[in-house]
Amino acid sequence: MENQRQPNPYRQIRSTRAYRRLMKAYYLMAKHPRWFGKKVAWITSGGPVEPLYAMGVLPFYPENYGAMCGAFRMSVSLCEAAEHRGYSRDLCSYALTDIGSSFTGKGPLGPLPKPDLLICSNNICGTVIKWYEIQARAFKAPLFFLDTPFIHGPIQEHTFRYVEKQMEAYVAFLERELGRPFPEKRFDRVCSRSFEAITLWKEILDLSRRRPAPFAAFDAFIHMAPIVTLRGTLWAARYYRRLKRELEDRVSHGMGAFDREKIRLIWDNIPIWYDIRNLSRMLSSRGAVLVADTYTSAWSLDRIESDQPLKALARAYATIHLNQGLEYKIRKMVNLIEEYAADGFIMHSNRSCKPYSLGQYDLRREVTRITGKPGLIIEADHTDSRSYAPAQVEKQIRTFLDIIEDKAQRNL
Amino acid sequence: MDHENDLAKIREEIEAVISSRSLPKERRAIGFFCPYVPEELLHAAGYLPFRLMGTPIEMSRVQAHLPSNCCHLVKSSLESLLRGELDSLEGVVFTHTCDSMQGLSDIWAHQGRLSIHFNLMIPSNLNSEHSRPYLKAEIKRFQNFLESRSGRITPESLKASIQLFNRIRERMRNLYTLRQKKDLQLPEGFFARLIRAGYLMDRSRYLDLLNQLLDGVTRRSERDENLIPVYLSGNMVHSDSYFSLIEEAGATVVRDDLCSGARTLRLMVPENPDPLEALTQRYFTSFFCPTKHTGHRAHIETLLEDVEQSGARGVIFLLYKYCEAHYFDYPDLKAALESKGIPTLLLDVEDPDHSLGQLKIRIQAFVEMLHPF
Ligand code: SF4
Ligand code: SF4
Repeated sequence: MENQRQPNPYRQIRSTRAYRRLMKAYYLMAKHPRWFGKKVAWITSGGPVEPLYAMGVLPFYPENYGAMCGAFRMSVSLCEAAEHRGYSRDLCSYALTDIGSSFTGKGPLGPLPKPDLLICSNNICGTVIKWYEIQARAFKAPLFFLDTPFIHGPIQEHTFRYVEKQMEAYVAFLERELGRPFPEKRFDRVCSRSFEAITLWKEILDLSRRRPAPFAAFDAFIHMAPIVTLRGTLWAARYYRRLKRELEDRVSHGMGAFDREKIRLIWDNIPIWYDIRNLSRMLSSRGAVLVADTYTSAWSLDRIESDQPLKALARAYATIHLNQGLEYKIRKMVNLIEEYAADGFIMHSNRSCKPYSLGQYDLRREVTRITGKPGLIIEADHTDSRSYAPAQVEKQIRTFLDIIEDKAQRNL
Repeated sequence: MDHENDLAKIREEIEAVISSRSLPKERRAIGFFCPYVPEELLHAAGYLPFRLMGTPIEMSRVQAHLPSNCCHLVKSSLESLLRGELDSLEGVVFTHTCDSMQGLSDIWAHQGRLSIHFNLMIPSNLNSEHSRPYLKAEIKRFQNFLESRSGRITPESLKASIQLFNRIRERMRNLYTLRQKKDLQLPEGFFARLIRAGYLMDRSRYLDLLNQLLDGVTRRSERDENLIPVYLSGNMVHSDSYFSLIEEAGATVVRDDLCSGARTLRLMVPENPDPLEALTQRYFTSFFCPTKHTGHRAHIETLLEDVEQSGARGVIFLLYKYCEAHYFDYPDLKAALESKGIPTLLLDVEDPDHSLGQLKIRIQAFVEMLHPF
């Protein structure tokens, strides 16, 4: 066993410095929008941001902020502030963090930028509808809701029509609230940059199909921030070009994210933000690398047509990963396992996020049945560490890795 | 025949419906959860719409499929399915409401136990002009689906079903009005069971019973001015135990917005020439469900107005634990009510038949507080 505990050095990604600069600049703007003459829209992570950038509005992502609070281990006190106001502890901790932050003005950024507009799309969950209604009341800000019916089975034409119509209504809403016409040309440019960034991001994630994987899912969790917050800007595309070059360089030198890569795993669900480092270290000490995940690839929109961008956006946003049913999720996991030649998968059953977590038990059985690869379910919450038992989780992971190693031994 | 006797018979029949663990044999039954499923269409297609309302049940199989933080309705329904208790249903129709139902629908379908599984995708935004044509197209798709299983639904049969369900809602509304005036002396627990039975049994027979009941009770009524009027707000928790506890504490539920109760009275369908249009429009008039977006103040306004009209002195929130739609709205609702001088009590419900002792003390204390000094 001892040799399995060898240190397994992590290779720093050089672009991380550029990443930090980029996110610092973004958060500086988000914190002081008036300095830059910007209006601010709060928007859900799956919401169409391109029309905002086209209109020169700065998007602020409470969910990304929630992840930041989680990583800084500041969520619990913010959740508690919300609970103190009567919000149940069982609600999504991203929402509680954001609500707690807006009540208290506390958190890693200090007081949050006040929203001039609220843009909510339920293509990720129903939670955001209620959450944004609360903020619309609290901030007396106009709310636009883009409804994207969930896709259990084949997609209906009238569903697409419905989403397209609302996209048009979204544009009309922005024109009305901001008092200026929608700049079609600029919007085209924003869309092509957005598609460029998304394509680059997809290509970056694809690089980890190589063995060893140059980019671990734990890296992707960090470096996905620009694809969420800055998609549609020149900055994002430029950054991902740079990151891609660096990772291609690793591939050409046969360098992985870690020194050793013995076991390849897929991750499902949002990361456990406050324990990411510990888990990564623990896995890598056994030579296990998370080579892909279902979360960061949620932004790799599949349809890229740019002759009618509004229509293309409507279709893309209506069909993202979280808006699709169990059978789709099973296929996706099976594909990831095959494409990335994974030895198994770890699923985070996330107390906060029902759309992600309901169905995981059936998903695990089905994926194992199809691929023969074992899956592990661990229970946690993405930002609220109160319902997390790290010792137990570590033990589960150790046992799981033993099983995979045993299996590999037997197949030798 | 004396009314005492009639009443006893009606009660016997209702109790039999509630206590029977097996499904009725007369018609093929299709399960559903939510008033967003137009029962009228199921009925017109020849099915018995059978509402799954969350029964007290020991959870032994569901843990292998669902995390524990799902509401009792979701967990207990899947448990019933996994135990084979629902095998005599021909199928189930899900509607899009909350994330848990959405997840449940997929898990349910994945078990492959029932032959019919339909997802009726009600829009989540009822505050947009674009939702109406979309919803109409969905209801039409539902109709086509039913027709593919059981033959054509004629406009006449659909109209007849619409009328039947409208008449039931009218009778229910009468009952509610009588209760509000405290002219109706039906035990609270029985009232809850009466409402449940209306989702399980043959609807024509149910209408007969309601008619008889209304004939019988109004004549022998007398007011009880000592009962404290309370308003019950929350999910579909027509479990008689709460109602009995409230009664024992000396209060009466004069009105509710429960999704198996008075909320559905808002679903009257205009009996006009285009039934599909009418079935669509009704969801855009006064119906309110917190899983849908109808404007960010809609819940507060609907509740305040309803509570005011009811003459209730206090509001009891009876919420299924883990229900996001309700728990997100709760703090602002509570604040809005209390700013009008209306006290509130929150009761967290897991299995409705558990922890009643605790609840009893809290309900009693609350009702005590509502007594005029
Ligand atoms: S419920 Fe899930 S998808 Fe929705 S905001 Fe929370 S974490 Fe995100
Ligand atoms: S009670 Fe709440 S959580 Fe449960 S099914 Fe209904 S809306 Fe969903």
